[in-house]
Amino acid sequence: MELLEREQCFDELEAILSEVAAGNGRFVLVSGEAGIGKTSVVERFAEAHHHNARVLWGACDALFTPRPLGPLFDIAHQTQSNLTTLLEEEAPRASIFAAVLDELENGRAPTIAIMEDVHWADEATLDLLKFLGRRINRTNAMLVVTYRDDEVGADHGLRLVLGDLPRRSVARFRLLPLSQAAVNGLAEREGRPIGDLYAVTGGNPFFVTEALASREPGVPVTVSDAVLSRAARLSPVSRAVLELVSVVPARTEMWLLDDAISPDTGALEECVSAGMLRYEGEAITFRHELARRSVEDSIDAPRRQSLHNLVLKALLNRGSEALLARIVHHAAQASDSAAVLKYAPVAARQASALSAHRESATHYQTALQYADRLAPEERAGLFEHRSYECYLTNQGEGALQARRESLEIWRQLGNRLREGDNLRWMSRVNWFLGRRMEAERYSTEAVTILESLPPSPELAMAYSSRAQLLMLADENQQAVLWGSRAIELAGQLGATETLVHALNNVGTAEYRAGNERGRIKLEESLQLALANDLQDDVGRAYTNLAYMTVRQRKYQLAIRYLEAGIAYTTEHDLDFYKLYMTAWRARSHFEQGDWESAADDAGFVLEHRQVLAIAKIPALTVLGHVRVRRGDPDAARLLAEARDLALETGELQRIAPVASARVEFAWLKGDLERVLGEARSVLEMAKAHDDGWLQAEFAFWMWRGGAAIETPETNAGPYALQMSGDWPAAAEAWKEIGWPYEEAMALAEGDESAQLAALEIFERLGAGPATERLRQTLRATGVRGIPRGPRPSTKENPAGLTSRQMEVLVLMTDGLANAEIAARLFISPKTVDHHVSAILAKLDAHTRAEAVSVALQSGLINQNRERPAPK
Amino acid sequence: MPRYLVERSFPEGLKIPANAEGAEICQMVVLNNVEDNVTWIHSYVSDDRRKTYCAYDAPSPEAIRRSARRNNLPVDRITEVRVLDPYFYR
Repeated sequence: MELLEREQCFDELEAILSEVAAGNGRFVLVSGEAGIGKTSVVERFAEAHHHNARVLWGACDALFTPRPLGPLFDIAHQTQSNLTTLLEEEAPRASIFAAVLDELENGRAPTIAIMEDVHWADEATLDLLKFLGRRINRTNAMLVVTYRDDEVGADHGLRLVLGDLPRRSVARFRLLPLSQAAVNGLAEREGRPIGDLYAVTGGNPFFVTEALASREPGVPVTVSDAVLSRAARLSPVSRAVLELVSVVPARTEMWLLDDAISPDTGALEECVSAGMLRYEGEAITFRHELARRSVEDSIDAPRRQSLHNLVLKALLNRGSEALLARIVHHAAQASDSAAVLKYAPVAARQASALSAHRESATHYQTALQYADRLAPEERAGLFEHRSYECYLTNQGEGALQARRESLEIWRQLGNRLREGDNLRWMSRVNWFLGRRMEAERYSTEAVTILESLPPSPELAMAYSSRAQLLMLADENQQAVLWGSRAIELAGQLGATETLVHALNNVGTAEYRAGNERGRIKLEESLQLALANDLQDDVGRAYTNLAYMTVRQRKYQLAIRYLEAGIAYTTEHDLDFYKLYMTAWRARSHFEQGDWESAADDAGFVLEHRQVLAIAKIPALTVLGHVRVRRGDPDAARLLAEARDLALETGELQRIAPVASARVEFAWLKGDLERVLGEARSVLEMAKAHDDGWLQAEFAFWMWRGGAAIETPETNAGPYALQMSGDWPAAAEAWKEIGWPYEEAMALAEGDESAQLAALEIFERLGAGPATERLRQTLRATGVRGIPRGPRPSTKENPAGLTSRQMEVLVLMTDGLANAEIAARLFISPKTVDHHVSAILAKLDAHTRAEAVSVALQSGLINQNRERPAPK
Repeated sequence: MPRYLVERSFPEGLKIPANAEGAEICQMVVLNNVEDNVTWIHSYVSDDRRKTYCAYDAPSPEAIRRSARRNNLPVDRITEVRVLDPYFYR
């Protein structure tokens, strides 16, 4: 059948494929409601290119609990790679994903990899999409996914993945219903002009086709009516085939059909020629999922159960690991409790091994529905597993509920060791849910019980968890005490993970209290985690090292941890740590006066939809503070949001930086009352926490606000120096620390030459309001000849090229063609053309070669500049 | 998308001739802006050509600054603005 009104879509897909063939891979999203023709478009496109591209095909199924990495299993079978082996051996997720990328990178012809119906995707597949989305541009592959946008709500996992894809490598197609003219055209061609066909079907192509094929006098009211009236015309044997296939959410393989009902070929052919089913390789499937649903729903319950039973038996006869999720689905639908209990836990373990934790948690839940006939130990085990999988997927309440059950069972059985370990978990889950009091109570209880038994790895972990709780609450001494017990015991018992965990907790607590030994412990934790591939622990160690070195203003050290940590967490998709460290890098740039990089980093964090408050707060704070200092609009809104989020955490380390930005804002606007109000509350908090730096900072703002305030005697830092009137020493101290804005602020309080030096710094930073303020002061005191500061201008390079043109010129010098330059700079070849002709004009050159030689001879481009090493 | 008024100073005076060269300069600025989703709507230039007031649509003030950097244009002040139409009140 021809496809109506999709020409533009095809044209654009063609254009994308030619870019892909040039090594600029793309992620293509095709969305629309069910029946809109997503598959038809993709199939037609793939068909047109099977001679010049490799086509790989995978699909997600409507199982209640989807197959982990289902579409990847499909795709693996179509490649020559070792992917299938890796999947069947449940290799670590990282190596599976790397193998997929490898496969997409190394094809000689471009690859069109298609994944259909990803609104049903399991968690691991969503992770794969995220992983590929971020790296697709370096392949010569086009990854096409289709999904029903009306089934993807705001909090659907897919929505979050799609929202965070890099914009430059994504193309989106939303298929719209057919126009009235197209629908009428179709009806006329069938010789069935029906007036309200368009109105009833809304132009949905599948509905239109079914309605026209139903041969009813009017238009069937629903898709289901249309499908069923078509099915009603089949013979009884064919109907039996149709019904069996309808209870199988995936494609129905021939072996499955033969084993279940061994139909005669005539019946199968009838279904196909009636347009209900179609062949797909060695399998048979409905022409559309909507039709399958309609038929399935029309079967009465007892019959449906017996059909599921037939399918289950056939799947079990086949006996393959890859079928587990399907086996569990049909076992549950057939209410076969023995089969559920046997296979659901196996499917759960498999899903967990492939990092499909959400699916794993659901399989455990399915098993637990029939678990009353199991031994109590086995039941407790299932609850423990379910709790863990829920915990990993942010389902805190589910985790808590399951953990309560397992705890109760072990108690009744009198198993003290398991009881203690479950109490430790209760503590963790409660903390996770923000219930600190409960967390502490369970933690104490866990330690008490486990200490009454011989030393065990469980006890070591209970010690370390206790240390973590205390560390998070800023109770550093206590944290070190408990953590050290954990380190000792874990070391004796060789419990590496616990050791890594404990070293991190103790190290963080010690370092925070100003003890350099803490940093060494954190380094030790980091190295041990790296050596044992404990990725989450690596992320946590980098994060703690990075943010604490920034907080201590040890910028050289900080940038090392930040760069290495961000690179590692990017490579391993540990998003939370990556974003949190990026926010701290923004802070570090900001304090050192690089506001452009600070705004870039903060903006990058805020662009993400899935960003936790803990990472959002520092990003909002930095961006708001940059705007305050530049005098840019909308600073107040950002800082109000940051403050609200920070107050919710109740933690001084998050509240103080926001307050600092807001106080400065008020001061620049001359609102001294507000300065005093904001500063006072934080000053009290800083006193309560015995934080010297923050006490000095907010005392300084009180002083600036006009309050009679005593200089904190114990503090000889720059704030105190400034308050005592010693501006030269304060400026020197700020310079030493590396905060240029504060240095200029101190100089601005000095004599005329100091003030002129301050002006130069403010101008260089782009600090609009501070510059303005200081100029007014200078004018008021009668200083003449106030210089206008340096301004960026095209004088920076003599040819007057913009920075983008310089980038293009550098690549031209390297001998790259326009298409290659376009790919490298992520811009269209057309834009490169524009740049190149502008460069030729500005350099007064007639050819590329001439432009390159002018650039090199005039020294515009340094011939011996550093080049990135070839990979 | 918010609209901004961007004030710029050109101590030596702004020189955009009304010919092909001028057209090219403007075209380059427009192209450079695309990357940050910034749209230059139009500008008012003071009589002595030392000051410009430029209306822009942009996702954020940072985007305006980034594209200004790319075009080597100075920025004195960015103000978020809305349109007031005096004849709307009739």
